[in-house]
Amino acid sequence: MALELITLFISDLLALLGVYTILTLSLNVQRGYAGIPNFGLLFSFAGGAYITGSLAARLGLLLAGVGTDIDPISNSVGAMAVLNPILRSSPLLTITLTVILLLIGAVTGALLGLIQLGPVIRLRIDYLAITLLALGEVLNYIATVYKPFINGALGVLVPDLFSWAGSEYRFMVATLEILLIAFLVFLYVEYLGRTPLGRVLKAIRENEVAATSLGKNLVTYRAIAMTIGSAFSGIAGALWTLYLGAITPSLQRFDWTFLPWLMIFLGGIGNNRGVFLGTFIFVLINRLLVYIKHYFTGLLPFDVVWFDYISLGIVMALILIYRPQGILPEKPRVPGEIKEIMGKQSLEER
Amino acid sequence: MIETLVGGITLSSILSLMAIGITLLYRTTKVPNFAHASFVTTGIFAAFTLHLFNQPIYLGLLLGFLLSGLEALLLFYLVLEPLRRRKSSIFILMMATLTYDIFLFGLINIYADYLQYTYKATARNIYLAGADFKVLGVQGITVVSVITLVACLFALHIFLNKTVFGTALRAVMENDSLALASGINVSAMLAISWFIAGGLAGVAGALLPLHIMCSPSTGMILIAAMFAASILGGLEQLYGAPVGGFILGLAETLLVTGLSSVLGPWVMTYSGMIPYIALILGLIFCPRGLISIRVRGA
Repeated sequence: MALELITLFISDLLALLGVYTILTLSLNVQRGYAGIPNFGLLFSFAGGAYITGSLAARLGLLLAGVGTDIDPISNSVGAMAVLNPILRSSPLLTITLTVILLLIGAVTGALLGLIQLGPVIRLRIDYLAITLLALGEVLNYIATVYKPFINGALGVLVPDLFSWAGSEYRFMVATLEILLIAFLVFLYVEYLGRTPLGRVLKAIRENEVAATSLGKNLVTYRAIAMTIGSAFSGIAGALWTLYLGAITPSLQRFDWTFLPWLMIFLGGIGNNRGVFLGTFIFVLINRLLVYIKHYFTGLLPFDVVWFDYISLGIVMALILIYRPQGILPEKPRVPGEIKEIMGKQSLEER
Repeated sequence: MIETLVGGITLSSILSLMAIGITLLYRTTKVPNFAHASFVTTGIFAAFTLHLFNQPIYLGLLLGFLLSGLEALLLFYLVLEPLRRRKSSIFILMMATLTYDIFLFGLINIYADYLQYTYKATARNIYLAGADFKVLGVQGITVVSVITLVACLFALHIFLNKTVFGTALRAVMENDSLALASGINVSAMLAISWFIAGGLAGVAGALLPLHIMCSPSTGMILIAAMFAASILGGLEQLYGAPVGGFILGLAETLLVTGLSSVLGPWVMTYSGMIPYIALILGLIFCPRGLISIRVRGA
């Protein structure tokens, strides 16, 4: 029993780590590479999460070819009773559905990222932060008010897409799938940083005027960075909904915008390894706090969860004041050919 | 209809009090202050605590002013001043106010839990209109909110224009390096502006539970409306904030009631979207505020 609990704890920790890693990497493409301060990360994340909640059961019923008059939104319990046994017996169908849903999540995230681009290219940083923070809340509002989307405040159940190897392995399979996707995203973002595109993004971040004078169109490159980043955050949202197995329109700005920002600040903006390290530290602390929480119930006249807010607030203030570059700061990367031309000597003198 | 109008005026006055602080801080420190959310919530709990211990609720205006003003001073001296000395960017300062807001949000929730646990108080559904007095059949809050707004604006105007401190503060708003060169203690002036702005948010918060249902998250929910009011009035225009506050407050009440009688009651459910729409449209089409729009040829 104790062993099972530990396995569950670790698999939960790793799943959360995977989702957050995708999200912080997406922020790293936007803020770290391109210098776009996306304070509305919640917008594309929630978009991916809610669209998955809205479409998962409908698409599942469609793909399985089940003719039923159960409405998968208002009666998602009924729809799950029909759909889940079919999915459990058909790994192929499950995986097809997973891939389609992740693609839809990515496209939705990217489209929402393009909506954010309007303010991004027009507004100064302070105005931009206000706008993006406000935009982030809009989806929660719409999803709560417009019932046919994800059944209002009650939310919907989504089909279980991780039980194809047997329901006792459900969490393990889910964790492995999420980690695999997170690893692929990590490889891609690391690769992106070394491509000419990545170098242009960083050049724009460092000096807009210099980049423009070399013929780089700021709007195009910002649009690319927003699209790639938001697509990843949409995927993270879709995975989160599938992992939970249900979604309500209550995704919080604290969890899905503030925490990712904290993570990349702690780890080191612009450096993917640093970003992963920061994510790991925060997820570990957060899960440990949740884990030890029940030891305190009844002892203190308040919920221990609020310590999370207080301690994270203090940690963040200390990071901002004393180490704004993070634990692993970004190092300038010099491509091989340039190293040869310039020679080792001149590089060290720089 | 009259009832809606009266409610709209109350809401507008309270929103204006919040927006003035945001505009003032933007003028002095050049930072959009996200911690305003928790300053407002502090005011709410000041009023609620007084009510819980059978004290007059309107003392909450004073208590809210002092508590939130103190919180703002702490934010300035503990976080913003060290950052300013390190020449941190606006972006970092903004993150710092957001961080402080999260910190206060945790504290306020612990306090709310404590009140619930120890006094069995309904600290997550705060509505005090029942304890309000009535004048000629109108809720006291309507009269008090308007008077408070006018009094605060008047006091602020006198302070800024007739006192030495106020003149110095205006000098800091216009050009802080020049103010520093003429021997003005810029840091102290900024601290004063944080105390005043925080205090006004506390006052607004103390009025709020007399008008609408409040919880520890009320400030966070209202922050978009506060910024919307401040931006519609013009972030550079100190006296524009009440204009923005009234446009937004009346739009949220009168406009929605009007539209729903024409288009149907479903409009009501979307009324909460108005601050967001106003904010986004305002920022994109007239980021310097409605006051900046002038009739061509005039």
